[in-house]
Amino acid sequence: MNKTLNINGKPQEVDADPATPLLWVLRDHLGMTGTKFGCGIAQCGACTVHINGAATRSCQVPLSAVSNGSVKITTIEGLSLDSSHPLQKVWVDANVPQCGYCQSGMLMAAAALLKDKPRPTDAEIDAYVSNICRCGTYVRVRAAIHKAAAMMNGSHHG
Amino acid sequence: MGNADKPVNIGRRRFLVATAATGGGLALGFSTLAAADVADATAVSGATPEFDAWLVISPDNVVTMRVPTPEIGNGAATQLAMTITEELHCDWSRVKLEFASATRDYVEDNVYSKPTGALAFFGGRSTVAGWNSTLLQVGASARERLKAAAAAQWNVPVAEVEASNSVVSHRASKRSLSYGQLADKAVLIKLEQEPALKSRSEWTFLGKATPAKLHLPKVVNGTAQYGIDVRLPGMLYAALMQSPVQDGKLKSYDFDKIKDMPGVHGVAVIEGGEPLQKLPLITQLPREMNGPRTSAVAVVADHYWQARTALAALPVEWEDGDGAKWKTTEQVVAEALALTGKSGGIVQKSLGNAAEVLAKQPKIVEATYTTPYCDHVMMEPLNGTALVTADRVDIWHSTQAPKHAHRVAAEESALPPEKVFVHPTLVGGGFGRRIGADDVRIAVAVARQFPGRPIHTIWSREETTRQGRYRPLLAVRMQAGLDAAGMPQAFIAHEAGRAIDAGQYTDTGSLTSTIGLSDASYTSGIIPNVQVESHTLPIHIRTGPYRGPGYNSNAFFMESFIDECAHAAGIDPLEYRLKLHANWPDPGWTRCLKEAAKQAGWGKKLRKGMAQGIAIGNFGMLGQPKTGTVVCVVATVEVSKKGVLRVDTLDAAFDCGRMMNRDAVRAQMEGGLLFGLNMSLNEMLNIKDGRIVEGNYDQYPMLRIGDMPKIRIHFGGLSDHERYSETGEPPVGPVGPAIANAIFRITGKRIRSTPFRVHDLSWT
Ligand code: FES
Ligand code: FES
Repeated sequence: MNKTLNINGKPQEVDADPATPLLWVLRDHLGMTGTKFGCGIAQCGACTVHINGAATRSCQVPLSAVSNGSVKITTIEGLSLDSSHPLQKVWVDANVPQCGYCQSGMLMAAAALLKDKPRPTDAEIDAYVSNICRCGTYVRVRAAIHKAAAMMNGSHHG
Repeated sequence: MGNADKPVNIGRRRFLVATAATGGGLALGFSTLAAADVADATAVSGATPEFDAWLVISPDNVVTMRVPTPEIGNGAATQLAMTITEELHCDWSRVKLEFASATRDYVEDNVYSKPTGALAFFGGRSTVAGWNSTLLQVGASARERLKAAAAAQWNVPVAEVEASNSVVSHRASKRSLSYGQLADKAVLIKLEQEPALKSRSEWTFLGKATPAKLHLPKVVNGTAQYGIDVRLPGMLYAALMQSPVQDGKLKSYDFDKIKDMPGVHGVAVIEGGEPLQKLPLITQLPREMNGPRTSAVAVVADHYWQARTALAALPVEWEDGDGAKWKTTEQVVAEALALTGKSGGIVQKSLGNAAEVLAKQPKIVEATYTTPYCDHVMMEPLNGTALVTADRVDIWHSTQAPKHAHRVAAEESALPPEKVFVHPTLVGGGFGRRIGADDVRIAVAVARQFPGRPIHTIWSREETTRQGRYRPLLAVRMQAGLDAAGMPQAFIAHEAGRAIDAGQYTDTGSLTSTIGLSDASYTSGIIPNVQVESHTLPIHIRTGPYRGPGYNSNAFFMESFIDECAHAAGIDPLEYRLKLHANWPDPGWTRCLKEAAKQAGWGKKLRKGMAQGIAIGNFGMLGQPKTGTVVCVVATVEVSKKGVLRVDTLDAAFDCGRMMNRDAVRAQMEGGLLFGLNMSLNEMLNIKDGRIVEGNYDQYPMLRIGDMPKIRIHFGGLSDHERYSETGEPPVGPVGPAIANAIFRITGKRIRSTPFRVHDLSWT
């Protein structure tokens, strides 16, 4: 039975069991592999997307919860059209990712943080960005969030 | 970065991957790493001629470099491209990486692996050092051929033309041509002699520039492709379960119970045991690494969620076999500890006469230590995609060692190696787990039961964790005989555990399990009388390299025990280590000790409940001075009276000789310290009835951003000795013992096992 999802501003048709987690709908049914599978139990954050603007772990969201037409889903592929989000720029400039696997989730968590708290404190970063990175990029993630926040506030972006 | 990132175009990327899977003209199967969705197909089909196996320059002035080293996050692939760039004088923003083909290496007489030997395709340690002269020559040679082509076209002496930033120019006549415009002529030119390389002082890029890794533009927009992201037309998904007791066997399963579940195509049963064919070894990685194929069952379906749901519903029975006799973790630890009390182990180091000298010393320090099994828990769960047909195998895979993967895929498919094609993808964390290719074995074994269909097999997180190739559980009994001045004159260690696999219980080549113990500075000349023996624990649980094999446990043992000796001698721990290394013929050690101590303010007054601990180690030295990378860590730590541990700061100084890329080294130091921190504070796998208990991150805790201490990397330890040693593994070792040594100073409790979180650290 086909369902229509609103992903990155576009309608997308999916034929999947309503219990299928959004993570796998994105990855397998729609081929949007930027959203990553890390644990499947809401621990790691690799699967983070925005649902109506809020950072959400997509492995915990069944298709049925997001297919009523009013739910807006944003994935890493839709964070910006052209990698122009300040976080994306700083992330490359500061060589933040190592293997990179956890970083879509990191970026989506950080983007939601900056929307809520344009000048986040360290404690706010800790609260919003609880994603796991096995490569150990935390030091750079924190610095890059502060830098992107400064850029956005300076340029009145976002 | 000049990578023009286009909006995602999944359809197009899918098509390109599909082409690579089936197109005859793409027989060598390169994988694209850096550029947007530009196909690398032309490079292989011959439309764009190559300078050599390493280098293609296309008419649009993009320089494509084919590197054998995978990108696992340490920047090794980018580093190789930087080395070529130094001599090629090309525009870095137009450099594109591809992963070199292991098949081509096989077919064309080791065209990639000849210069550095078998580990050429290895994305772990030692990737950079051996490459310099080869890759600099690749760059210089192509540059001179481009210059010669321009000079011929303009009819001017080649000495009058210059090459810079992907442009050849003739100043006098103000003419210039891009590399892309010259490439088709330049590839036809043969140089009479190879150009001389620049001296290091003439370098303008290496050691100076610190560009971001080439794969990052695709990471930040979600288009980076890891093994688990491979999508092929007609692809089916498999959910996998291997015998929960490693080396057990599948007894029965009931497919009828799930055959009508949505999307289910079938079940693949994988028998444990030997591969279909055994091929001669071509790498330093033994075939047996990570053990023979495991017994497993996989459910194949249209989508992974369907496969996974059906697998969970599939009735399966296992024959546990012998391994089930290991009922608890405590039983394994007790058995290992008992072995450390035995004599007659495998002698790993013997200097002077340790037993005799030890007995004569006025003071003897003795202690036993243990470390538990740990898993790599890299963020990308294990997976592999294979397409098996009658005369060809393709595998898309996040491998740390493509050449080994190539050989294993051939073994598992019974095809000759020239018909086997490994397509390396980006790797979502390796840490040693993706070297042995047990994942390749399984992926091919599943796919060969569905010939002609690409099968994408995924290990769930729980399956990944419970079917690891673990950092082994180790136990050690150490004794030191201290002279009247408190300095060790003799050292004896008996260590027990299963060695890092070669897959056999009776492994005699078990040096790796004592790396950091039998080849440390103390046991390689500083202490005059040394005996280090290893004892093999006959347990079924498979082991493998884990960031800093052997060293990750042994640095904790060695540096905690040296601290015990310092305490027994009544000497400050820093001063004790400085004394010990006073005559060690590698001044890097003393430099690092002094630098870390100075930067951390060693000896400064701290509030009650806080203290500093120090530790030093080296990975890669294998008993030799001025080899490998030395890392010294000072940990500033607080323990509340109730026993709550807080690591405030880690100050680290290191000596890897020289650096090619300062920021890349810093990133490796940061990552390595955090890896060592998590390992020491948190990581432990338990055993129940031969199985691994922990399956996911809820049971295997990981530090988050809010748990981070201050991390301070100091560059004052560098000696400028002429080597470029690895920096990923070395920081892992000294973190734990530096913290444990600080805990001792606060609480009076000597912590002799990891992880620290299970210890009662309360004090009064
Ligand atoms: S995969 Fe969803 S939180 Fe880990
Ligand atoms: S960058 Fe590798 S897991 Fe975070």
